[in-house]
Amino acid sequence: MQSETLAALNTLAGGLFLLCAFGIVATRQVKGCLQLFVAQSVLLAASAFLLGARFDSWHLIAVGVVNLIAKPVVIPWILRRTLHEEIYTRREIDQAVNIPTSLLAALALVILSYFLTLPLLEAVDPASRLGNVPIGFAGLFLGALTLAVRREAVPLLIGVLAMENGVFFAGIALSRELPFIVELAIASDGLILVFVVGVLTRAIHKHVGSTDVGALAALKEESGP
Amino acid sequence: MAERILYNLLQVAVVLAFAPLAVGVLNRLKERIQSKRGPSVFQPYRDLWKLFHKDEVVSEDASWIFRVTPYLVFVTPVFVVLLIPVLTSYPLAFAFMADMVGAGFVLALGGFFAALAAVDTANPYGAMGASRTRMVGFLAEPVFIIVFFTVSFVAGSTIPYIVQKQWIASAANFFAPSHVLLMAAFVMLILAEAGRIPVDSPSGHFELAMIEESKALEYSGRGAALMKWGGQMKFFVLMCVFLNVLVTPWGLASSQSAVEVLLAIPLVLGKIFVFILLLVAIESSLAKLRLFRISEFLGAAFITSVAAMITRLFAF
Amino acid sequence: MMLFAIVALPLLAAGLCWSTREPRVAVAATLVSSLLVLALAVRVAFSVLADNAVVAIENAVAADALSALMLLLIAAVATTAAFFSWGYMQRMSHDPGRIWFYYLNLNLFIFSMLAIPVLVEPTLVWIFVELTTLCSAMLVGYENTRAALEAAWKYVTLSLMGAAIALLGFLVLFSAMRAAGGETYTWEGLVSAAPRMPPALIQTAFVLVLVGFGTKVGLVPLHTWLPDAHSQAPSPVCAILSGVETTVILYVILRMLPVLNAVPGLETQLWAVSFGLVSVGTAAFLLIQVRDYKRMFAYSTVEHMGIILMAAGLGSAAAHYGALYQVLTHTLAKSFCFYAAGAALLATGSREISAVRGLIRRSPAAGASLLLGGLAIAGAPPFAVFLSEFSIFRAGLAEERYAAVGLLVLFIAIGFFAVLWHVNRMVFGRASAAVQAFRLPASCSGVLVVAAALVVVSGLYLPEPLHDLLQRAAASMTR
Repeated sequence: MQSETLAALNTLAGGLFLLCAFGIVATRQVKGCLQLFVAQSVLLAASAFLLGARFDSWHLIAVGVVNLIAKPVVIPWILRRTLHEEIYTRREIDQAVNIPTSLLAALALVILSYFLTLPLLEAVDPASRLGNVPIGFAGLFLGALTLAVRREAVPLLIGVLAMENGVFFAGIALSRELPFIVELAIASDGLILVFVVGVLTRAIHKHVGSTDVGALAALKEESGP
Repeated sequence: MAERILYNLLQVAVVLAFAPLAVGVLNRLKERIQSKRGPSVFQPYRDLWKLFHKDEVVSEDASWIFRVTPYLVFVTPVFVVLLIPVLTSYPLAFAFMADMVGAGFVLALGGFFAALAAVDTANPYGAMGASRTRMVGFLAEPVFIIVFFTVSFVAGSTIPYIVQKQWIASAANFFAPSHVLLMAAFVMLILAEAGRIPVDSPSGHFELAMIEESKALEYSGRGAALMKWGGQMKFFVLMCVFLNVLVTPWGLASSQSAVEVLLAIPLVLGKIFVFILLLVAIESSLAKLRLFRISEFLGAAFITSVAAMITRLFAF
Repeated sequence: MMLFAIVALPLLAAGLCWSTREPRVAVAATLVSSLLVLALAVRVAFSVLADNAVVAIENAVAADALSALMLLLIAAVATTAAFFSWGYMQRMSHDPGRIWFYYLNLNLFIFSMLAIPVLVEPTLVWIFVELTTLCSAMLVGYENTRAALEAAWKYVTLSLMGAAIALLGFLVLFSAMRAAGGETYTWEGLVSAAPRMPPALIQTAFVLVLVGFGTKVGLVPLHTWLPDAHSQAPSPVCAILSGVETTVILYVILRMLPVLNAVPGLETQLWAVSFGLVSVGTAAFLLIQVRDYKRMFAYSTVEHMGIILMAAGLGSAAAHYGALYQVLTHTLAKSFCFYAAGAALLATGSREISAVRGLIRRSPAAGASLLLGGLAIAGAPPFAVFLSEFSIFRAGLAEERYAAVGLLVLFIAIGFFAVLWHVNRMVFGRASAAVQAFRLPASCSGVLVVAAALVVVSGLYLPEPLHDLLQRAAASMTR
């Protein structure tokens, strides 16, 4: 395919990636959050494929394949095995700030990430000056925002995973020649992450009664004797 | 020159004639998806006919606003039709009378008067509906503005015909994330402005939950017919703006020959039909939002449009 | 070969725990493996002193002086923690059938920590840093109380967030190295490629890594998880977490400093010094109003991490020596403090400072240890922590950083008085109702004695090889 169409499709994947990140911040339903994460991972894999075709790098294509297998398929499977069914039906009634406000904060963060990455992009070699980098940084910040505003356990986990998605999205543009074994190790690390957090969430569900971890705020200095 | 005026008037006639059909098809498809038989696609025409032949009952306490509004609501979409590409991809006689922002103002004028008229009758449901419509309208305004700003920034002009050329320039432009995001934001806008699920339920009869429908509650006879027809035309106009300006000019006549222009009619209707299929899918799979969640819905539309703007302004 | 053995032994022990699920096998495996790891770490240290570095796989697995120091510290704390766990978990655990799970996680945690100094590629190091979080998550939440699970959740989420940010930092670092034409992505390779790196990239990478891993180290303002996690975990785990795990992550940040120093025109010193001072100050003030003595020691960890970072930021060889000396003394003293806290918890059953009075009457071992530990960690002479802090002051004054050193002295003094006040209230005074006569488990008392001896001795005498090791490690940082 021509490099111009590849570039256009890559920017499209980036735009949709950003939209998924917004959705992860704002969606009420836990299941919806998970589906958005899966969509975001598929878009990441698609971008990896497109960049791999453009730079003729089988290594990027391998990264795409790994992401396509690990995130949309294995992670939901692990979650289904470790979490109780009931956790999926939950929906958040309220966030720490209300949803339109967190969406506006998300917007501000996206603009911030564009400004932050401008000097970076000038310093890198011209081939790497892709829209992937600011969108990856934005994905990182939006994942952190998700961690800040959400209260349910599974969306918080998905926030962390979305942060890693953002990091990878920027990484496939910035550090294309990273050894493949490292990428594989990072992916499997992600799987262990999901497993451990799933087990922890199950323990919380069992001993505390609900997965509303935002309500667990008892450990403070002001708690009286 | 004469041809252009003629085609412009032909556009108006097409919209007048086929707007009720679009709504009829939409309603029938919605019912079919739910495994019901559904009304005939020509039912809206029969409803309009029936209403035109009934007597009008007007409250004594209603002012001139009440009487004038149906005509305004009917005329404003017609006016907008003169400005947008419906059948042709080149500008017609009246195309430069106003640009997209002007068209937006005109449509808003119609909606404004409808809300005023609803308050005018002192029917409590009318007032409730009017305030809700204003809330939805107020939340949708920023989305409109950002969408129009982005498209005109891209095209260098706010005239719809010129904007439309932008997207067909290359596949790169079509698949640009700003474009895709704009389309998504505008679909959400259509759902809000035309009063469709998930913002409002067009087939609901429960006045406490109505947003758009309650504006027309007090009308009867000719007034009701004009309000209904005007609402259908507004919906059709929004779809035309979306499909012909933002998505693709496919099916529009590009030359002055009469055959091409006449051929454009079924092609454009076909495009609208495809879009109606999408709308039916959306309407059948979502539930109506609670009133205060509408701000989140439109907030999401706003974010999408701003994301489109950002990815365009900072394009690499 | 030794390096592989060091990393593999805890993994084997973990495997044994998992396969047999027998408490006694688990305990035995852990104890044996930790002793062997300690022996191997000492041998590695001597090899490094002799040959300057121990290389197992070129550009992948190697140990220089700094790594050898870290390995030694991890092995030492792991051994004492394993022995302390033996008696402690027997006494404290409500469910003996779950003990194998504790030891499984403990061994995996130690394994992940041991791998970090031994690997020289930053992204592989990152993977194991994340693994330390994951392996210790279930340890922090081991007691399954609401508070413990809350602490575990906060710990996991904040650490993982930091890890993601740090990963981006490492990827940017990689692209900086490529832009400089470097070939090998190792700490050494980075230092050699550093002069040609674009400043924007390396600065972004450093900020990202500092913020990301700073969350795990406990630097203010990202420290909010630390008091919770380091107090809710079982005491031996707290000893490892506070004593050595935060230090190991700080080691990763310290590895980046030579790279930054080699790039002309960067202001990294300012970042490190200010972050360090902010942490010390905040921790010092928080120490005043703390109500739980394990949290008190956790805040003290934040304070010391700040001190080490600030010292490393000062830049001179003497300052780096001071920082590494502080690492050593802090590890020994802090682990001892948590063992003392564990003993106090066994003796009184309460974590609150106000509930514990006259501890020395009830359990002389616990009371004496707590007093000794409090004094040591607050920085009282003649203990080692005082000596290392003093050497940092001297280095700072030699660099003419009067304002920074002045603030540091002030904050350390505030922390000193706060800790001593709390410890004094707990150890002396009339015995409160919660304090009854008590005997500690044998292994716990044994560990307390050994750790106390280490703390006391290290203040009086630093063995020559250890001194050499510290010097070489400091030299490698000041490239």
